[in-house]
Formats: sequence, structure tokens, C-alpha cells
Amino acid sequence: MSAKIRWTGAVLGVLGVALTLVLHWMVFFWVPTERTMGVVQRIFYVHVPAAWVAFMAFGIVAVCSAVYLWLKDERLDMAAVAAAEGGILFTTIVLLTGPLWGRVAWGTWWTWEPRLTLTLLLWFIYLGYFLVRSSTENPQRGKRFAAVVGIVGALDIPLIHLSVQWFRSLHPAPVVMRPAGPSLHPDMLATLFVGLGAMTLLFFSFFLYRYGLERVSQGLLHREVAEGRTPQPEGVLS
Amino acid sequence: MREYLRQVGALVWKDVVVEYRTRERVAAMGGFTILVGILFNYAIDPTAVEPQAIASGLIWMTVVFGGMLGLGRTFHLEEEEGAFQGVLLSPIPRDALYLGKVVANFLILTVVTILVFAVFALFFGLEFGRHPLALAGVVLLGILGFVAIGTLFSAISARTSMGDTLLPILVFPLMVPVIIYGVTATSSLFAGLPASEVEGNIRMLGAFAAVALAAGAGLFRYVVEE
Amino acid sequence: MESSASPSQEPVPGEASEPVLEARGLVREFGPIRAVDGVGFSLGAGELMTVFGPNGAGKTTLLKVLAGALKPTEGSVRLRDRELRTGDPDWNRRIGVLSHQSFLYGHLTLEENLRFYGKLFGLLDLGDRIPERLAQVGLEKRAGSLARTLSRGMRQRLALARTLLHDPEFVLLDEPYTGLDAHAAAVLRGVLTSLKDGRRTVILVTHNLSQGLELADRVAIQVRGRFVHLGPRDSLDLPSFEHFYREKVEKEEAR
Repeated sequence: MSAKIRWTGAVLGVLGVALTLVLHWMVFFWVPTERTMGVVQRIFYVHVPAAWVAFMAFGIVAVCSAVYLWLKDERLDMAAVAAAEGGILFTTIVLLTGPLWGRVAWGTWWTWEPRLTLTLLLWFIYLGYFLVRSSTENPQRGKRFAAVVGIVGALDIPLIHLSVQWFRSLHPAPVVMRPAGPSLHPDMLATLFVGLGAMTLLFFSFFLYRYGLERVSQGLLHREVAEGRTPQPEGVLS
Repeated sequence: MREYLRQVGALVWKDVVVEYRTRERVAAMGGFTILVGILFNYAIDPTAVEPQAIASGLIWMTVVFGGMLGLGRTFHLEEEEGAFQGVLLSPIPRDALYLGKVVANFLILTVVTILVFAVFALFFGLEFGRHPLALAGVVLLGILGFVAIGTLFSAISARTSMGDTLLPILVFPLMVPVIIYGVTATSSLFAGLPASEVEGNIRMLGAFAAVALAAGAGLFRYVVEE
Repeated sequence: MESSASPSQEPVPGEASEPVLEARGLVREFGPIRAVDGVGFSLGAGELMTVFGPNGAGKTTLLKVLAGALKPTEGSVRLRDRELRTGDPDWNRRIGVLSHQSFLYGHLTLEENLRFYGKLFGLLDLGDRIPERLAQVGLEKRAGSLARTLSRGMRQRLALARTLLHDPEFVLLDEPYTGLDAHAAAVLRGVLTSLKDGRRTVILVTHNLSQGLELADRVAIQVRGRFVHLGPRDSLDLPSFEHFYREKVEKEEAR
């Protein structure tokens, strides 16, 4: 792995971990408690930043996929898959913290809250991306197909968001997962931003390492094929 | 432009004729529809729930599930004698190829949808409201969006080892807007509300279909070419 | 028998008056594999070149590049004055491809199959053209039958009619005799001979030495992506060619 990637990844990772520690301190010891929901509301400082990162990651997947199809540079595909893996990880965090919060705060695991629903659908779009990528005979095809899935998914997400919000407006539910009142107390806002910073740093650290790993792995695969130690991928020389 | 239309027309004609002679997809989807209607009759307790109330949802779900059966087969007949390669070696632009497939699938699914409505009207005595044109608009736009996405992804799934089982995973998450806008509008129309109530829905369905078609036409070449 | 020691990047001058089809330095990579590795040749009008080679030599990949279905990593192909750009519909109009798969729709009649392809190619005089092509391959009596009722040999003939429907200048044949019995092969051979009418340039790809040698004006041997031989057929007979071929292949594969 290139030293630059490794080094940058390490720095981001260390900063991310440090900021996460700060975040935890803030969440547990510093930030004031929210009035209506009590202590459990603090999960919000993990839940919301994770959601931001999950969607940002998918944006990266979509952009890298589009440029990959256009320029055919393999590194863009590597970036897309690295972003996708980080993205699905943070999406899972959102889907775990959301119901936890709901269960403790309101006694129900799931409430069809529009943003949570959107995140659940995002998780499945990520799943589609990975399944398509890994289930082709010819790996190059898998990469192209996954890129198409990524692009179409990204185009659809705003439409899904609109529709789900609209549906909720028709059928209002008793609970609304609003983080706090109409506006956030400055201390809460600060904690939120620290959380956002921490998660973003961690994501990019992960992203860089994963990208570097993919580059090494593709390079190794190329060498093995060229030296005849591994059978050529199917459908290449038919 | 003229030639483009002739090419698309040739594709649509070919698919429709082949379907007419084999009746493969229509039979599968049609049979599915009727059987689902029967199952629903036993799955829903008529004393607890008024079928009319949930008819809209049932109809759309039946169309979507039945449609998946047919969409998955879009590219299978092309594989028999490698015909698809022959088509790719012709001067037809890739977006024309995609549009031809979409139109053919749209026509086939429309036939099936009419059957679905007939079955549900028959089995559950449903009333379709006073605005058949608006209803048709809602349903047709919904089908168009569905087919636009499904055709693109069936070209992908046909080339994976998972095949047709992958198709619902790819398509269903993206169909949520169509279901939401489509079912709500259909319910409103069934309940006798005026057509103006569903204008917004029709616009959103139209927007979805437009985005899906544009994306499909633009991305299809990356799916079928090396 | 003339043989080039180093496979050509430059076109080999031949008996052709002026080259109609020229390929230079064609390379096609799949990741680290060079399926086509620096292929070049030049053909005149009316010439037929057979490309021999063992399985996996890259013959079909070469064919796909020439057909415009695969983009070459390096190199160029020119047909008369025009350079091939992959996916260019005009290129597709000027070539015809006959594969071992017939590219036919079993549930359409012969006439409908040709009509479909005719429309894809933007042809307008199909009413006259189709019966003519069917007659050329001896299938005019079966015009109204469904394609799936044809035997394999007849299907290949229909496929050839389809290939020639739009009057391509350049015809590619990919193992056309596959699956044909001796009689059907003989019929096909007769029809293919008529291809050599002085107007078209033909490339035939096969691993069958005797079938490939019969019609060839020029001969190429491809092993591991490269042309290890390219030259005129001369008056070579089959046994000497077989020997020559085996020598060349073994030598290359030992490297």
C-alpha cells in the first residue's frame, strides 16, 4: 500500500478516535439533557452523524461510479467499493441506534419514521450494489453493473425521500423522532458537530485503508493471472 | 430520427410477436394474477376488513409481483441462439434498444394489469370510481416507471449467477415512490374523489417515469457492452 | 512458404492491388491478459484470410474487435479510408458477422427474421431483397416456416443470408462449420465460395485446418494473441500445412 495512503489513513484514524473520545465525554458528561425525552435522547449524537455519513458515502459511491463508467479508470471503482463498505457500515449503525432509541423512548422498535425508512431502503440499495458486484462470472462486468446500480440508486433516493415524507404527512404518527425542540441548544449543536466530525474522520480513515487494500489486492490478482498461477476469469478469452 | 423509430418499432414488433406465439410471459403472469386473487380471498377476512378499502394496495402489489415474473424473462429468449449479439452487432443505438424493450414490456404488462383489474372486480365486486381516465393515467404511469427500472435491471440480473432472484432486491427499494403515489391515488379515485385530488400524484409518477427512462436509456450501453 | 519471423506490426504486402482492410498493432487487454497482442495485416478487395489457432489463442477476441464489439486497447483498423470506432453504427453497417450461433429467433419465420434485421439496418427495399437473399442460400421455399423448424445446417444458411442482407463490404466468419454434418458443411462451403466475388473482404476464423485452408487466399496463425505467421496461401497442400501449423504452435507455446 502506498505510504501516502497509509499515513493519511492513520492520521485521520487517530484524529477520528480522539474526537470520538471527546464526543463520548461530551455526550455522557457535558451536554445538557433534553427536556421531553430524557437521557436516552443522547443516542441522537451518534445516530444522526452516522446517518449523514451513510448518505454522504453513497454520494461518493454514485459520483465515483458515474466517472468510472465514463473514464474507465479502475481506481474510481476501487474508491466506489471502499466508500460503499464504509457506507453500509454506518447505515447499519443508524439502523441499530434508531430502533434502540425508539424502544427505550417510546416502547416500540420501529415507527416507519420517514428518515429511518429511507435509511433502511438505502441499506438495501447498498446490498444490491454488493450482490451485483460479486455475482458475475467476469469481475469487470460486476464492477460496471455495480456502478449502474449505484447511479440509479442515487437518482432514486431523493424521490424515495419525497414520497416517504409525503406519505407520513398523510398518516401522521403519534411519535416524531425529532432530536430536540424546534431549535437546538448551542451545547447540543456543538456536540452534534463533534459527532459529525468524529464519524467523518473515521469514515475517511476507513475509506483510505480500504482503497489502498483494494489497489494492492487488484495488483496481486493481476500478477497472479499474468504469471499463470491463477486461472483467467471466465468469459475473457472465449 | 425516422430510422430510429423504425428500429424501435422493429424491436417492439418482434417482442410482441414472439410473445404472442409463445405466450410464455403472459400465461405465467396471467395465471399468477388469477391465483393470487383466489388466495387473497382466503387470506383476507371479509368480516374484519372491507376489500374495497384495501383493494388499491392489493391490486398494485399483484401487478408488481406478477410483473417481476415477466420482467425477469425479458432477455432470456434472446439467449437461445445468441440473437442478442446479432442485435448488438447491428447499427441500432443502445438507447433505442432499451426503449424498444421498455415499450414491449409496457404493452405486455398493461395487458396483465387489465386482467388484474378484471379479476379483482370479479372476485371482490370492486367499483372503480367515476374517473376512468385519471385512473388509467395513474396506473399507466406507474407501470411505465416500473418497467423502465425493471428492464434495465433485468439486463443486469440476467448476466449474474443469481439471475432472476436478484431482480426483486434491486427493483423493490426503488419502487417505493411508485407504490406510495400510485396506491394513494388509486385509493382516492376508488373512493370517488375528483380527479384534481390526484394531480400531484400523477405529476410525481410522471417525474419518476421520466427519471427512470432517462437513466435507463443513458446507462443501458454500459450494461450490454464490454 | 513465406513466413514472417516477427509477427507484423506493418501490413505485409500481398498480391492485392491496394489494401481495403488494414489493421495495425491491435492489442486488446483484459486486465493483465493480452488476448490480442500486436496484430496487424492488410487485405485487398475480394480476398479471404483464414486465421487459424488453437483454443484460447484470442481468435474470437480479435474477431470481436474487428466487428466493433470490443474496443481495442491499442492499435487501429481501417476499412478503406475510414477508421473503426467501436460502437460506430456506420461500421456496423459495413460489416456482417456469421457466428457459430445463428442469432435467429426461433419463433419468427425465416422471412420475419430477415425483415427484423433488415429494419435494424435501416434497409428499405426488403420486399425484393429478402426473397433474393433466401434464394441465394437455397431457402426460398421455406420463407414462411418458423426458424426453429429448420435443421442446423439450414439455420446456418439462413444466418448467412442475414449476414449478407445489408451487403456488407467486410464479412467475418467465426467457426461457421460448427455442428454441421458433412453434407450441410458442403452446402455451406458452396455458399461461402460465392462470397469470393471480388467485392467483399472476408476473414474466416477456425481451428479446423482443412475447412479453413480451402477457401483461403491468405493464411494467418494466431497463438497466444500474436500472429506467428501471416502470408499468402500459395499452393500449399493440407498435410504440409498441418505440419507447418503444428510446428508453429508448439514453438510459440514453448516460449
